[in-house]
Amino acid sequence: MRSRALIESLGRYANAAVEGLGRTGRFAADTGRAVVDVGTWAPVATFHARTLGVGSLPIASYIAMFTGVVLALLASYAFTRAVPLYFVGTLVQKTITMELAPVLTGLALAGRVGAKIAAELGTMKVTEQIDALETLTYDPFAYLVLPRVLAGTVMFPVVVGIAMVVGIGAGWLASVALLDLTTVEFFKGARLFFLGFDVEYGLVKSASFGAVVTFIGCREGMLARGGAEGVGQAATRTVVYSAVMILVLDAFWAVVWLLGRQT
Amino acid sequence: MKRANDFVVGLTILGAIVAIAAGIVFMKQADIGQRKTQFIARFRDVGSARPGTPVVIRGVRSGRIESMALADGGWVEVRMSLDPAVRLPENPVVLLNEASVFGEWQATVLGRDGVPRDADVQRQLADAAQGGTVLPGATLPDIAKLTAVAGRIAGDVASVAERFEVAFDDRAATELRGSIRNFSDLSSVLARTVREQSRNLDSVSGDVRAGVQSLAHAAGQLERVVTRFDSSTSRGEVDKVVSDAADAARQLRQASRNLLTISEQVGKSQERLHSFIVGSDSIVTRINRGQGSLGLLVNDSSLYRNTDSLLKEFRSFLADLQRNPKRYIQVRIF
Repeated sequence: MRSRALIESLGRYANAAVEGLGRTGRFAADTGRAVVDVGTWAPVATFHARTLGVGSLPIASYIAMFTGVVLALLASYAFTRAVPLYFVGTLVQKTITMELAPVLTGLALAGRVGAKIAAELGTMKVTEQIDALETLTYDPFAYLVLPRVLAGTVMFPVVVGIAMVVGIGAGWLASVALLDLTTVEFFKGARLFFLGFDVEYGLVKSASFGAVVTFIGCREGMLARGGAEGVGQAATRTVVYSAVMILVLDAFWAVVWLLGRQT
Repeated sequence: MKRANDFVVGLTILGAIVAIAAGIVFMKQADIGQRKTQFIARFRDVGSARPGTPVVIRGVRSGRIESMALADGGWVEVRMSLDPAVRLPENPVVLLNEASVFGEWQATVLGRDGVPRDADVQRQLADAAQGGTVLPGATLPDIAKLTAVAGRIAGDVASVAERFEVAFDDRAATELRGSIRNFSDLSSVLARTVREQSRNLDSVSGDVRAGVQSLAHAAGQLERVVTRFDSSTSRGEVDKVVSDAADAARQLRQASRNLLTISEQVGKSQERLHSFIVGSDSIVTRINRGQGSLGLLVNDSSLYRNTDSLLKEFRSFLADLQRNPKRYIQVRIF
């Protein structure tokens, strides 16, 4: 009897997981279908791009600046005398460009952008504003979801690109001001193994982060139930799922794009 | 409001694109719109060089590798660009080598005279020099190859160690233990011998020390003699001695000549003495025979007695003369 209950709970969880997967797939399909409704999403896309992207520049730059400083000091601390100090520049450039700027910015924006979207859409959902839009023959996916997802996908690389510049610049300033390193030496190290691919890799990765974070925020908001508590749970789940998915995607891109690649 | 959003978003995107593009151009040190001098070199292997690898002339970065492609005959053709002001050295060749131990590579352009005297490099250059207008190139071994060689050496050492391990079985260990024991005994005997010999050595060393002291003393005396001799030499005494010796020798020669003369005279005297003795002998013989006056005097006792009484009377006469000289002697001046 007890084992039967165990098997039932297992089936219930599996069913819920598949149901969630299917719901997510259906949500993605509806979002994709809304792309054709340009007249609905295009007018509001720039508004969301400004809100989600331009509004995130200060926090992204702030994070990148301190990351660059800490990375330069950490590199100088880690390098022994066997490693030339100009490799600080190499480490700062490679790490900021390929990993820290996209991931840290993505995690920060998961909290700022994802939670904001989930809260907005969740509130609209629990207050039946979305139902009202549907009554007015507005496609909520074209009006609410797609512009946000597009804004996130486009603006995340913009924010991350600026974060890269700010991070490397902060690393350079920290190296010159706090370490026994000249500008020439720092950029000698930074240029040593620099490839255009590094920037490409970071920007594409950040675009995927932007798409996932906004998509999760929209999904959780649109599925929110039960009033303010449901909205809060939706926001919380958005941040958690977004953070998890950012790390999963980070590993995914590393495996797909870096594994076996010869520089 | 919408136009403001569009402007801000567009400006942000534009700014980000400009910042990223400028960063990439800066990092890659790309020269936009500047003409470059280009040339091609060919290699059998390009190691870890890749597009963007710096081209260095006499230690100065002067360009970069633009592209590389596989070519016929097993070659890799590498296209490089140089700053327009840079001139290639005479008879140029290109070496691909590591710029540091951290995996940085560079293409070094240098004259054929400056190529390292490495047989493999020379062979690569001679092989690649048959390419017409294409510059010959060679690739120097990188750290990985060197470490691969070191790895092979380590493998050989490991195999030797493995063989040693195989050969070093229980029997070998037993024999080794016995050898060590024998060596221990031998070392004990050796230590004892050394102790005994050390005592002998002590006495020998004492003798040697005394001998050395004697030698030192003799050396001191010799030194003093030499010093004295040296001072004598410096004062001219030796010359005087030699001169005196010469005089002495001369006098000795004179004396020997005199001695020779004397000996000749002695010889003559001896002959005369011999004839005198012979004559004396005949006289003595005649005396003994009682011939002649002396023979009669020696052999006739009455003559002796007469002579003796004569002597007695003469002695009494002398005594009387001493007592009464005036009896016999009268001195008158006028």
